[in-house]
Amino acid sequence: MRRPAKTCPVCESGVRVLDYKDDRTLGRFLTERGKILPSRLSGMCARHQRQLATAIKRARQLALIPYIKGYTG
Amino acid sequence: MARRYETVYIFDSALEEPAVAEKLERFHALLTRDGKGSVSNVAHWGKRTLSYSIKKRDSGYYVVAQFEAAADLLPEYERAVKLDEGVLRFLVVASEGLPAKPEPAAPVIATEDEELEEDEA
Repeated sequence: MRRPAKTCPVCESGVRVLDYKDDRTLGRFLTERGKILPSRLSGMCARHQRQLATAIKRARQLALIPYIKGYTG
Repeated sequence: MARRYETVYIFDSALEEPAVAEKLERFHALLTRDGKGSVSNVAHWGKRTLSYSIKKRDSGYYVVAQFEAAADLLPEYERAVKLDEGVLRFLVVASEGLPAKPEPAAPVIATEDEELEEDEA
């Protein structure tokens, strides 16, 4: 049995460009350790997955989201 | 040629608001010199907890500004911001294609929770 193709959650919401300042939305595409969720799990289209990667890396630099969740150095 | 940029500053949260405003004015003066650029949309997010400590600080005062400036003004501006002790961190990005508003009303994207299991953590 093939699963039906997943649709991109970002395209579906009508957003064209992912914003690196929107840490709440970016947080949905992180694992519980703060890694970027692979598109095979989120169903993200290639364009948005690329945007997501850039946005998450920028947000990490700005300390909006952590590099590693749950790490207290 | 003027391009559109967006910059996010994280100031030391120990700074008072007037001190922040004074610094911003000084930075932005570098960009608007000789009428070669203009600053629009300066949004103060205010104090926020940092996700990790920067320069031993746990919170910072965030300001987002959008501006249009000739690319040759940027190196001097970035140098000035970098040398300022009151700025914990900053980021300048070309904002072509980004939303025009500095702080969008957080579009809600629905997730399919049952499908988002992590299989390699």
